[in-house]
Amino acid sequence: MTTATREIPTPLPADSPVLAMRDELGMCNILLSALGGDGANMAAKLMFKVACTRWNLDGGYDARYGSEKKGTATDVSVRFCSVGTPVRQSGPTTNPHVLAVFHQSLIEPLQLWRGLRRGALCIVNSHHSPDVVRERMRLHSGTVVCVDATRIAAECGSRLNMPMAAVLCHQLGFPDHVFRNAIAKQWPNAAERNLGAFDRAIGEATRATFADDGRFAIEAGVVTRGPLGWRNMLNGGTIDALTHSTVGRDNRIAAGGRVPEFHAESCSNCGICLTVCSDPGGLLWREGRMTGIDDRFCKGCMRCVEACPETKKGHALTVPLGISE
Amino acid sequence: MTATIEIERNPATNTKCAQRTIIANGNEAVARAIVDIGYDGEGYYPITPSSEAGEVVSKAFAAGETDLAFVVGTSELAAIGICAGMAVAGGRAVDVTSANGLLLKIEELPAIAGLGLPMVLNLSTRDVSAPLNIKNGHTDLYATLGLGWIILMAPNVQAAYDMNIIAIKIAEAVNLPAIVAYDGFHTSHANRRFDVFADREDVRRFVGPPPFCGTLEGKNGRFSFLDVNHPRTFGPYMNDDLINSKVQLDLKFEKAYQLLPGIFDEYAGLTGRRYGFVEQYGDRSARHCLVGLNTIGEAARDAVDRLAAQDRATNLVIPTVLRPWPEQEIVDAIGSAGRIVVAERASQYGANNYLANEIGAALQRRGNAATILQRTCGVGGLTITLDDALAFYELADRWPNFDDTDARRVKWYHGAWPGDPNYNPPQTIQPIAASACQYNGNGDGAASKVDLRVLSNMPTRFDKHAACPGCGIFTNLNLFLRGIDGHVCLLFNTGCGMVVTTGYPLTSFKVPYFHNLFHNACSTATGVVEMIKRFKTRGDLPEDITVIAVTGDGGDDIGMDQLVGCALRDDPFIMLEYDNKGYMNTGGQLCYSGFKGQINSNAHYGSQQRGKTRHHKDIIEILRGATPSYLATASEAHPADMIRKARKAQAVTRGGGFAFVKVISVCPLNWGMTEHGGVETVEAIVNACMHPLLEIERGITRITVDPEKKGKKVGVGEAFKLMGSAYRPLCESKNADLLAEIQAEVDHRWARLKAMAESQVL
Repeated sequence: MTTATREIPTPLPADSPVLAMRDELGMCNILLSALGGDGANMAAKLMFKVACTRWNLDGGYDARYGSEKKGTATDVSVRFCSVGTPVRQSGPTTNPHVLAVFHQSLIEPLQLWRGLRRGALCIVNSHHSPDVVRERMRLHSGTVVCVDATRIAAECGSRLNMPMAAVLCHQLGFPDHVFRNAIAKQWPNAAERNLGAFDRAIGEATRATFADDGRFAIEAGVVTRGPLGWRNMLNGGTIDALTHSTVGRDNRIAAGGRVPEFHAESCSNCGICLTVCSDPGGLLWREGRMTGIDDRFCKGCMRCVEACPETKKGHALTVPLGISE
Repeated sequence: MTATIEIERNPATNTKCAQRTIIANGNEAVARAIVDIGYDGEGYYPITPSSEAGEVVSKAFAAGETDLAFVVGTSELAAIGICAGMAVAGGRAVDVTSANGLLLKIEELPAIAGLGLPMVLNLSTRDVSAPLNIKNGHTDLYATLGLGWIILMAPNVQAAYDMNIIAIKIAEAVNLPAIVAYDGFHTSHANRRFDVFADREDVRRFVGPPPFCGTLEGKNGRFSFLDVNHPRTFGPYMNDDLINSKVQLDLKFEKAYQLLPGIFDEYAGLTGRRYGFVEQYGDRSARHCLVGLNTIGEAARDAVDRLAAQDRATNLVIPTVLRPWPEQEIVDAIGSAGRIVVAERASQYGANNYLANEIGAALQRRGNAATILQRTCGVGGLTITLDDALAFYELADRWPNFDDTDARRVKWYHGAWPGDPNYNPPQTIQPIAASACQYNGNGDGAASKVDLRVLSNMPTRFDKHAACPGCGIFTNLNLFLRGIDGHVCLLFNTGCGMVVTTGYPLTSFKVPYFHNLFHNACSTATGVVEMIKRFKTRGDLPEDITVIAVTGDGGDDIGMDQLVGCALRDDPFIMLEYDNKGYMNTGGQLCYSGFKGQINSNAHYGSQQRGKTRHHKDIIEILRGATPSYLATASEAHPADMIRKARKAQAVTRGGGFAFVKVISVCPLNWGMTEHGGVETVEAIVNACMHPLLEIERGITRITVDPEKKGKKVGVGEAFKLMGSAYRPLCESKNADLLAEIQAEVDHRWARLKAMAESQVL
């Protein structure tokens, strides 16, 4: 039940942003915005525990738990403070000092710029430059660090949480070796791959700092208040299926653009793909013919590719080449 | 990653017992207390957000760190019944629960209290509601107020640990059961730094052996059911004497009220951590006071500090014992406030709120005429933070001078919104016409040819869910529904299938859909089909409607009795079970359908245990005895077979009978398998005879796909290889004995099935 790591806490390096960025309650607030299955939860929990252990920090770690499944947006909040500062608030952070974005495709749908503090530190999984990402982030002021985490994770045989955690910890001024050791200990079987991704991410990250140049305003955090409330909610919370269907749902963030490729010229319209599809609605079958993939919805499980029969005409459904994002 | 990290060992300076600082969440804190106390047993059933507290204990058990009897019940009611048995036998028992889990076991709560059986029930609070929500609320807590249980509140992670140790001590001192309530998610899932006993022997010395002490007079104490040399009858029928039992219960609470300060003192002496009936923070002479339980109170401390820094004195009261109700302490803590805001994570609809009522009555009895303002807040996903607490003090200050008439109400809601009166969303889908769903050939059930290409034209009855990629549920459901013509009404048990399709305010279903909580779909379907019959007889319902109840395998653990009832009555609807071998929506706990040796979040490998300990439930054989019209199993790897069975099931219900169909459903997430490998994996499971494809029509068994005859039969190990990391230990040579046991069981069941299929009488 307990894993003892008896280490004498030492002071955190004086230049750590964790010491400089503090809210009125004495907290440095960090938000990780990710998808279910990215491992953001595991990485953040490890970071929280190790940082508290090693540098005698206190704070809290609160994930946004719910019934979110793999591929749906979720977030993790970490608060750091000095030992002795009362830790009384719980739940997600609404005004982060530090934001780690595991998929840049989350930026717009979640309006991730909202609630960000002045001079925020943003770590974004992107192959673009910090200048491009700053525009997308509508960042008032602060620092943008870009890392092509998806590519690094894939090429190293690691998971997305490794390059993201590496850059996050590095940018927070946490000495690299501490987390390298913790990661190697936590996942011994994947240590080499994870540490490869860890090192590459730190080496390849690009960083730029932006002053308040008046281009973007500080915006308040998102408060979700739908058009349906206690006055007009249908009796007992009933949903009118004809007006509130998920049929038009934009699900692109879940697949991250990785959906099967459809080659109409190779398709014999056998219908087998439809029998195995895990996301009904994702394969487009029109008037007796397979016509394509709804890339706004398909989550890219590739079950249909697996089932698609090889015919004389070839393979109608294939796995796309390359890595998006 | 549930391991707690030890970060320092505090020398025993001001305390008698050395303490150690760890970082863990509230559920882990509770689990740690359970292991430290050294309980004899835990009856368990998973429910969010308390599940993890049991999982951590089960992991400790597997690893040999505790020897308690950890028993997973078939339901919450079963779990606490198991605890009652442990307690009456003289054991020390503990349980963890939340929300609807508590409500399901509530029958046992007054029984355990009335019978004077001390035990501890951890309540990770969660709202009880429909529409369903899994997050916070105190509706569950308030349902326990009058049931005869001591109720201790744990406002934070530290208190969740400490109150557990205090709870068993006071419970056994007065022969009453005790609840420790800590807030779901806000505390259960919050990782915090806190202190625990460095040496668990210190905890065991504090709680001591179960005292079996006298209840009131010294001699009328708790006895053991197992004392065969002095037999006693527990739980008799009682008539007029019952009123004396109630007096005894009340007097036990008086005794608990007298004893608790001493226990709090003793605990403070050992740990340096002092608890009381109530925590008061801020200025007792302030004009405004906020009363809030658990994390409401915790968050509000920062508001008190903030306002104090602005020279605004405020008072804050956080009750930490609700039963026995510490009236004098509460009134004293409220002090001289003239305006009291009672913020509660629940509402007593049509009446004033729970805590507000009790505080109002307490103040009145002492001649205090303070105004009490009630705000229901922080339910569901809503949090209560510093800003909310500031708003409550603002409310106390300004009331009733608000433009908003609702804000002037004495009882109202904080955080609710009325909606946009001009909201008029456009129609985005058309209802599915029965005529568009006629692909069942001659309508003669299974006989007509299955043409998958033609069936691809069947309109999907649901669309665009939020399940994990590669989930088997919707492949199965969509395939099955292609075999169903005409109008369909769907009823769902709680589970992944329900959660990922109906996130308010959108629904994936294009046909009528009803979710009526956890295990109730089949009985609810019975009610629906009875009304269909009635309305049809009356001529009020021209449409022909097929009713299908959909459940996971877990729904048929907790709801087995209701399912058997439907089968016994042969109610005309289809029950479709997607069997993914676990409670996947709550985090992968074991279901009785799971294979022996599979890893679950509450069945681990270690020196004392190797995963799930018993063989997979054969629900078809259980239902066979109930003699329904039709029983079948199906697989997505055999689509034509499944379509035929769907058609047959529909024909059976149209003929007035009950049809149960079970499909095997991969769970890439919790099985730890590939997202794309569903079909191949299911095919291997069928070929290994671990999910034989069969049907039983009015008692006559038929094997519809025989892998043996086709020369495709493989060993169970071949299937486990594909099934992912939850089954990986079964592929390791060190567990070859376990694999052989499973093979023997599967072979035995297959041989029996073949014998049944060959015989007209078996």
